[in-house]
Amino acid sequence: MLELKDVKFSVTDAEAPDGKAMRMIIDGISFNFERGKFYAITGPNGSGKTTLARLIMGINPTTSGSIFFEKKNITTLSITDRARAGIAYAFQHPARFKGITCRDLLSIASGKTDEDELVEIIKRVGICSYDFLDKHVNSELSGGEIKKIELATTIARNPKLAIYDEPDTGIDLWTIEPMVYLLKKEQEKYNTTTIVVSHNRTFLEAADSILLIRDGRIAYTGDMKGVEPILMDLSLCPFGEFLEGGKNAECFR
Amino acid sequence: MLSALDKKLLKAVANLEDIPKGAYNIRKNGKLMGREVSANIIIDTNEDGTGIIVNIKPGTVNESVHIPVIVSQAGLHDVVYNKFIIGKHSDITIVAGCGIHCGSSESQGHEGIHDFLVGRGAKVKYVEKHVAMGAGKGKRDLSPTTRVFLEEDAHVEMELTQLGGVDEANRVNEANLGPRSSLLITERVMTDFRQVAISKNDIVMAGQGSRSNLVSRSVIKGNSSQDFYAVIEANAKCFGHIECDAIIMDNGVNQTIPALKANHPDVELTHEASIGKIANDQLTKIMSLGLTYDEAVNWIIQGFLK
Ligand SMILES: Nc1ncnc2c1ncn2[C@@H]1O[C@H](COP(=O)(O)OP(=O)(O)OP(=O)(O)O)[C@@H](O)[C@H]1O
Ligand SMILES: [Mg+2]
Repeated sequence: MLELKDVKFSVTDAEAPDGKAMRMIIDGISFNFERGKFYAITGPNGSGKTTLARLIMGINPTTSGSIFFEKKNITTLSITDRARAGIAYAFQHPARFKGITCRDLLSIASGKTDEDELVEIIKRVGICSYDFLDKHVNSELSGGEIKKIELATTIARNPKLAIYDEPDTGIDLWTIEPMVYLLKKEQEKYNTTTIVVSHNRTFLEAADSILLIRDGRIAYTGDMKGVEPILMDLSLCPFGEFLEGGKNAECFR
Repeated sequence: MLSALDKKLLKAVANLEDIPKGAYNIRKNGKLMGREVSANIIIDTNEDGTGIIVNIKPGTVNESVHIPVIVSQAGLHDVVYNKFIIGKHSDITIVAGCGIHCGSSESQGHEGIHDFLVGRGAKVKYVEKHVAMGAGKGKRDLSPTTRVFLEEDAHVEMELTQLGGVDEANRVNEANLGPRSSLLITERVMTDFRQVAISKNDIVMAGQGSRSNLVSRSVIKGNSSQDFYAVIEANAKCFGHIECDAIIMDNGVNQTIPALKANHPDVELTHEASIGKIANDQLTKIMSLGLTYDEAVNWIIQGFLK
């Protein structure tokens, strides 16, 4: 239902001596996401996971390649049009506002203003307190609280394709299992194609398929069993990149 | 009788559909248009006939006074001096505001100088809205001065709004806080085209244990400009905060100058100020919920000024 064809994203490299060299951030990703499946995207920090999600949502423009959603080429569509077509994205670092409450955000996300219906939505994401609706989405919210609201606004859209960018960061340990359960339930009930960017084992285990991104490319796709040794390897030597290029250093792995 | 235009202006400044209930004083084009007093709220014209004195008896609770001003006469510059004497332990709402309708090329304006003497333990909510409309090309000026004296344990909340149509505004807010009194001012101003708005705030924390919070939100569109000055001077152990945020759109210009003066070692004074465009992450978030760019801008601004 979502097909990426040799998608690339590059930026001008500020550190290049002539200031003109390009830096590839997404370096030719092709993949076909099937309807109603649950995908996990993982990979080291800075490997391009968020950038890939932003390319799908239309926040970043693709440098080359194309994106098809339900067989339609959406490569040049705006964020708005992609949202209206049924794509939703829960940001890794959600925006904070002045003068905007959780109720305001949920109302535009869902198109509903009725109190009971909004309460239904926050219950769906496991928020049990009603006064949450009148909380201001400003800098006073805790990191975990704002991630929950972000999740709620995404689910409130009843999207065909939902992308969650590290929904578990800042969330207390005991809420992660229920969150996985919640996203699985949404996926099953509404046949939502679900993509979760995560470093968390629980999410990886819940996925039908895992994509491992490294240096802007897909380094592996498959299940937990296959990805585990690679992840172990990556974590053994987190400075591998630097050491590999060094003359006097060696990385044993 | 109220004309259709009067009604429109009253609705805009005081949210009134018709003549209000309770005490009121409506001033139109520099003259008294209607007045009603209540058992606890007395309104008199002052000695030299330049304004009114509103006297609220001690212990008056749950009552309101409406004192809207309408200026619809071409070329008129109306100046008014009003005084509010609020008896101790009363709890009241005062709705003021001025609506200008300009139909010609002559300039029109209103200058309201309001003094508040807020008695011990009294609670006041003051709501003031400024609106200008009409197809005329004449300049519309609205320059209010508000001076508030809070006796001990008094509490004042002021909501000051100017959301468009005013070409030139020079606002002055002054306050003097007695022991344990508190003051909350929220000011919201939106300017567009070549409009100019200046707001000067001087708050003196005279009494021990007093608290003040000044919140200003500005939206500056077109080629308009806004200057915001705020000074909190603390002369006793107290708590004071200034928070001013300005969103700039188009070619708007803004100057925001908060200042804190401590003349006592036990003061706690803070300020936060920000000027900038609407943040990109806010816009992308709202667009990802299905709004267009323009809709998202509007939605964010409306929330900001709410
Ligand atoms: N617009 C941009 N301009 C310049 N560099 C960018 C831009 N967007 C992303 N990058 C860089 O691209 C790399 C990948 O960033 P991205 O946020 O996609 O990583 P990530 O895999 O999501 O990492 P994390 O696990 O830390 O969230 C980073 O080095 C980042 O600094
Ligand atoms: Mg990321």
